[in-house]
Amino acid sequence: MKIRKSVVTRRDFIRGTVGATLGATLFGAEGLQGIVRTNGRSKVFIVRDRAVMDASQNVDKDVLKSMLQKILAGVTGENDMKAAWRTLFGPGDVVGLVPTPLMNPTHDELIEIITDSLVEAGIPAGNIRNAQGRSVDLESITALICLPGLKAHWLTGIGTVIKNYILYSGAPRNYHYQDSAKLGEIWLLPRVKGKTKLILVDALHPVCDKGPQFDPRYRWPYYGLMGGTDPVALDAVGLKIIQAKRDELRGEPWPISPPALCVEAADKVYQLGTSDLKNIDIKTIGWTEGALV
Amino acid sequence: MPSDKIILPDAVGEWRLEGPPRRIDETNIFEYMNGGGELYLSYHFGRLLVYEYKDREDNDLLVEIYFMKESRDAFGLLSLDWGGEAVVLNAPEDDRSGTSVVPPRRALYGQGLLRAWSDNVYVRIIASRDKPGVKDVILRLGKTIAAGRSDPPRPELFKAVRPAEDSPWQIRKDRTAYFYSHLVLNSLYYLSHENILNLGADTEAVLVTFEKEQVGEAKRAVRLLVIAYPDRDHASKAWEDFSAAYLPDRKGRAIPGSGKENQGLFSIEDGWLGTKLVSRHLALAFECPDPESAREILSRSLF
Repeated sequence: MKIRKSVVTRRDFIRGTVGATLGATLFGAEGLQGIVRTNGRSKVFIVRDRAVMDASQNVDKDVLKSMLQKILAGVTGENDMKAAWRTLFGPGDVVGLVPTPLMNPTHDELIEIITDSLVEAGIPAGNIRNAQGRSVDLESITALICLPGLKAHWLTGIGTVIKNYILYSGAPRNYHYQDSAKLGEIWLLPRVKGKTKLILVDALHPVCDKGPQFDPRYRWPYYGLMGGTDPVALDAVGLKIIQAKRDELRGEPWPISPPALCVEAADKVYQLGTSDLKNIDIKTIGWTEGALV
Repeated sequence: MPSDKIILPDAVGEWRLEGPPRRIDETNIFEYMNGGGELYLSYHFGRLLVYEYKDREDNDLLVEIYFMKESRDAFGLLSLDWGGEAVVLNAPEDDRSGTSVVPPRRALYGQGLLRAWSDNVYVRIIASRDKPGVKDVILRLGKTIAAGRSDPPRPELFKAVRPAEDSPWQIRKDRTAYFYSHLVLNSLYYLSHENILNLGADTEAVLVTFEKEQVGEAKRAVRLLVIAYPDRDHASKAWEDFSAAYLPDRKGRAIPGSGKENQGLFSIEDGWLGTKLVSRHLALAFECPDPESAREILSRSLF
């Protein structure tokens, strides 16, 4: 094996030098200059409602729609759902919805509510498409809504927002090894860059270990929907929730492993958003018990 | 040669088999489970049969039968998580391998999911809804799969780690894992996204957690990683690559007065790292609170 000149190790995480080592690893020391920067503040909205699922995990669409309305109000400043959608999309937009299809998938009910309310807001039904997968025609899509489920991932630490576009790379396996830190580069592909207008994380029933393969012992009802426009901030908050749940389950520290290098790199290297929780305003709305943030 | 012939019933109670199994091999495993496929490929994956049962309410019961190359591969998959209720599918468990660093379990159940090791087969049976009676159905299917299959002992490498009842450092058996890949190592205990220990299909490794009681404080945990390489040259090269990546400053030193040049102690950010290289084996003791603990933990690797 050829060891790269700069290798991120456990020691970097303890020393707090991950960002610098990552930059040098991905681009070389010279390329690092001018790349690492400090991002501004970001907002993440978390809406929770105990009534959104019953004991059998059946979703109440009316409650979920109300949760979505609150997220949209927070993100856009518009309390009316139609008006909120119109601040994000126009009738000429072709909107791609990007849910998580496998292993703790995004709830169908959420996709249905989004689709129906977009149509009510004036987006033609024919202009709303499922945009998850390798063969999606991204050229014709003008706007994306990223719709992942909140879950840990055994290869990348978290398999939620940043990782949700992995199939757009055309070679997802390339990101399973040391290059998982590069997942953020997919968001900068010409046919993807700048198109994501909203991110909604399905946190009704997250998974805190063994993702993407589903193990019910690590799934718990969080009754939440998260939203915002900063993909890195949403993953950073998701990591905080997952980490807190892991510690709670074991009654002792149970670090997410491997650590989510892709989130750190998405901030420090690809400048997609803010990973530092100190620079993220987390707005929680609704049920607070077990919020873990 | 282990049998690959498994016939599942058309019905179990109210559950009906939907049709012939879906067949997954290395060419389409990522379509079936995305990145989860890397886990199975790292354990010498052969093929997977996926059966689906449904009840009258249209609930799903998914039966996944993973055919691995060897028994130790299927064991390794089970060893990644010893949580859940121990259940018996075949003969009652014994401990013929003579090791006590790993729980004597072959099948575990929890919240509608059965995971089991049966010879070269790893089994996952999962109910979409954990309703009353579903556990009995899952166990019946598990017993059908395990019936007539042999129960080989655990991998020999476990004999390289010695429990010691009189030591303050006791093995946390439910944290012991067996694997070949650095991806799996990182999911258990992160060292680096790079493969700095040259792990792979021709190596095998065990990760053992030791814990020590501390008065007025949480238990202290250290990890012992024992790796068997194909030969001495591979082990030496792995040590060189590891030390270049993980110990570039080489602040450590050989254990004073030990006379064992093959051992080393290094003071790093999270405690003392103990290292031992003997023939084709490499042992690494992480997060030791002091040099004495590092020596003690290294002494538990028997090579």
